[in-house]
Amino acid sequence: MADIALAHDFAETARATAMRRHGKGDSRFRALTFGAAILVVAIFLGVLIALLNGAWPAIKTFGFSFLWTEKWNPVTEKFGALAPIAGTLISSFLAMAIAVPVGIGIAIFLTELCPRPLKRPVGIAIELLAGIPSIIYGIWGLFVLAPYLQAHVQPWLIDAFADVPLLSALFAGPPYGIGMFTAALILSIMILPFISAVTRDVFETVPAMLKEAAYGLGCTTWEVMWRVVLPYARTGVVGGAMLALGRALGETMAVTFVIGNAHRLNPSLFAPGTSISATIANEFTEALGDLYVPALIELGLILFFITFLVLAAAQIMLYRLERRAGAR
Amino acid sequence: MSAGMQNGNNARARIDIRDLSFYYGETKALKNISLPLYDRKVTAFIGPSGCGKSTLLRVLNRIYALYPNQHAEGEVLLDGEDILTAKQDLNLLRARVGMVFQKPTPFPMTIYDNIAFGINLYEKLPKSELDDRVQNALERAALWGEVKDKLNASGLSLSGGQQQRLCIARTVATRPEVILLDEPCSALDPISTAKIEELIDELSKEYTIVIVTHNMQQASRASDYTAFMYLGELIEYGATDKVFTAPENSQTEQYITGRFG
Amino acid sequence: MVDRTLYLRRKAINGAFLTLSAGAELFGLVWLGFILFELIVEGIGGLGPQVFTEMTPPPGSDGGLLNAIAGSIIMSALAVAAGTPIGILAGTYLAEYGRHGKLSFYIRFLNDILLSAPSIVIGIFIYEVLVRPMGRFSALAGAAALAVIVIPVVVRTTENMLLLVPGSLREAAIALGAPMSSVIRTVTWRAARAGIITGVLLAIARISGETAPLLFTALNNQFWSTNLTQPIASLPTIIFQFAMSPYEDWHRLAWAGALLITFAVLALSVVARVLEAQRKQG
Repeated sequence: MADIALAHDFAETARATAMRRHGKGDSRFRALTFGAAILVVAIFLGVLIALLNGAWPAIKTFGFSFLWTEKWNPVTEKFGALAPIAGTLISSFLAMAIAVPVGIGIAIFLTELCPRPLKRPVGIAIELLAGIPSIIYGIWGLFVLAPYLQAHVQPWLIDAFADVPLLSALFAGPPYGIGMFTAALILSIMILPFISAVTRDVFETVPAMLKEAAYGLGCTTWEVMWRVVLPYARTGVVGGAMLALGRALGETMAVTFVIGNAHRLNPSLFAPGTSISATIANEFTEALGDLYVPALIELGLILFFITFLVLAAAQIMLYRLERRAGAR
Repeated sequence: MSAGMQNGNNARARIDIRDLSFYYGETKALKNISLPLYDRKVTAFIGPSGCGKSTLLRVLNRIYALYPNQHAEGEVLLDGEDILTAKQDLNLLRARVGMVFQKPTPFPMTIYDNIAFGINLYEKLPKSELDDRVQNALERAALWGEVKDKLNASGLSLSGGQQQRLCIARTVATRPEVILLDEPCSALDPISTAKIEELIDELSKEYTIVIVTHNMQQASRASDYTAFMYLGELIEYGATDKVFTAPENSQTEQYITGRFG
Repeated sequence: MVDRTLYLRRKAINGAFLTLSAGAELFGLVWLGFILFELIVEGIGGLGPQVFTEMTPPPGSDGGLLNAIAGSIIMSALAVAAGTPIGILAGTYLAEYGRHGKLSFYIRFLNDILLSAPSIVIGIFIYEVLVRPMGRFSALAGAAALAVIVIPVVVRTTENMLLLVPGSLREAAIALGAPMSSVIRTVTWRAARAGIITGVLLAIARISGETAPLLFTALNNQFWSTNLTQPIASLPTIIFQFAMSPYEDWHRLAWAGALLITFAVLALSVVARVLEAQRKQG
């Protein structure tokens, strides 16, 4: 009798010890995962603080006029960010102007038109464009695309628009090959798969019955896509496009190779220009002096700020879409 | 010899389904169905789930053609012309044969545009006439009173029952000849259901209506003719009164009295 | 009733836009073909055994890319070794412990921003926190920059994959009396393993082409080096340097390097895709 009670007690204590041990391991593991999660926040804040700290001498010296000064002179240590900011914005928006309609067109093709056996291979091929590293786009742009545009496309455009006011200024010669136009074209190819992939995913969340209802009314395929599916998927498509814009704004290598690295504003899209990321990539390791590096870091800060706004807006839109999809 | 003649009814068959079979890939989902659908009458398709009643409905406007691997064999004559031929223009067919779905499917646009959208597809109307047509359609769907002050609100802002009536109004507005209703009340509460049944009755004065339903009472209340289907076959077809009071087939009897299905 | 001309116009518009969308698809495919074609044509010419056995040469003499390949592998390995556990743990917190928490929402948000943040900015960050205090560029700094890029990728895929594990599986394990931490380690991680590995592969693919964050962290090195506290070469930075130079033979090596990177990255994506397909089937 007593033996059994003893054994029972023993089992009880063993179990209690195990429970305590488990409990301790449990909370330790939880703390570990929590620490890792907090590290993500720490990295984000670290980036922000490091940029502010590194840029501080330049911020103190130039103030807000840094944003709208064009002059960039390392010798006299006079720095202004206007040319790179303008270059980043112009090349990115131009890239969006090409990539958004084409990306949506690809998504429409893949969801509605593509013969079934071709769907997978063709879809994967477009996604491969996203897998190619940006340095590859850069080297290809420099050695292949830019010379080709210089020889075959740019002279033709310059001639074609020579007599059209406004456009003649945008497409003014001489054709260098490298420059804003080439950078924007490469960017558009790079972000194309992002836009088409997100758009395609969002199209797939459109209820089949809604599409059937539109077809049932006698709509053509294009009308179903343009009037019903696209408005229904609007939030997601805009979110995806913003995400792609965020990528385009921050893209470095593809642009650095082909943009021409000239700190000048020029109305012609064929003229060499620069972007924030290209300026940093080209000049950072060679920068000397007390203000040169801080000025470059301040450029980085501005880039971080712009992309943060764009990406944050994109995230909020996509989260909202997720919630809607979850609610249904 | 079609069932309509047996009926001694002088109504004209608007749609005549002849020896229709339907396949999902290799699976035969409809087996040699023959059936008339009378002009300005309500015909109900009933039967347990999976019996093919929705499939049959989806043949009548060829909405199945959106999906590869689905095909129909046989003939479906609409006013004497076979709609299953390759030369049939699907958009024009669907303009003649409207459809309302199980769940409300308002388009992501305003209430007004939801109605005007369908009209504008096939007719070019001056604004005032378009306004009249929109109002008329909403009135016929018994929705005008509830939405006349918010025509510019999103169609998605309406309640489920209102949305379904909006979809019916949208279908009616395009002035089709036949209206297909695929379990139109399955997602609705009893009050909305009653309103829609009333609407069907009203519409049957002008349109040929086909309704798929799993609700026996609804079929007996709202339809003139009933087709009972089971496992892809048409088991019994006739005037609704007769099918419900004196079914010829024992399976039909068991189903309508609730013993299986 | 039906306005014929209106209908014909609609059909014409439909045809025109559907043709355009097919044209858009073609537009994308043509670029892909163009890039891969040039890459292979130009890259094969420079790709010989010496690429894998010799160091990067001064202009005008023969050489290979061995030091750059080694540098890339060393830094990528370090980055994955450091970034993967952190990413998996953080993703685990978001999916298992803090799924609906307010804090998790913000962490998730910042992680998604970091996922798409400009990589050159990550380079500046590491420059400020490692290179400046150490007083020199180093392989360690390069690896750290790459790790910062790996973490958000792994966090995102880990969380996504853990969310796919059915709750019933967790509940069944917890109902046996297993503590949460061992449920995660023995049940949910195992269930999500293929997906998480896919995420890690994608992260490797992502960093193997990264150039911008290495430019002023690892810098570059024309010689063989495995010293983590010294500057080190990497394929992308060598490609950048060689391509931007005026020398023909350097251009050839740059193309060869570009071909190598692309093949590595595409091979990784294919493996990831196959794993993903298996996961979806199983």
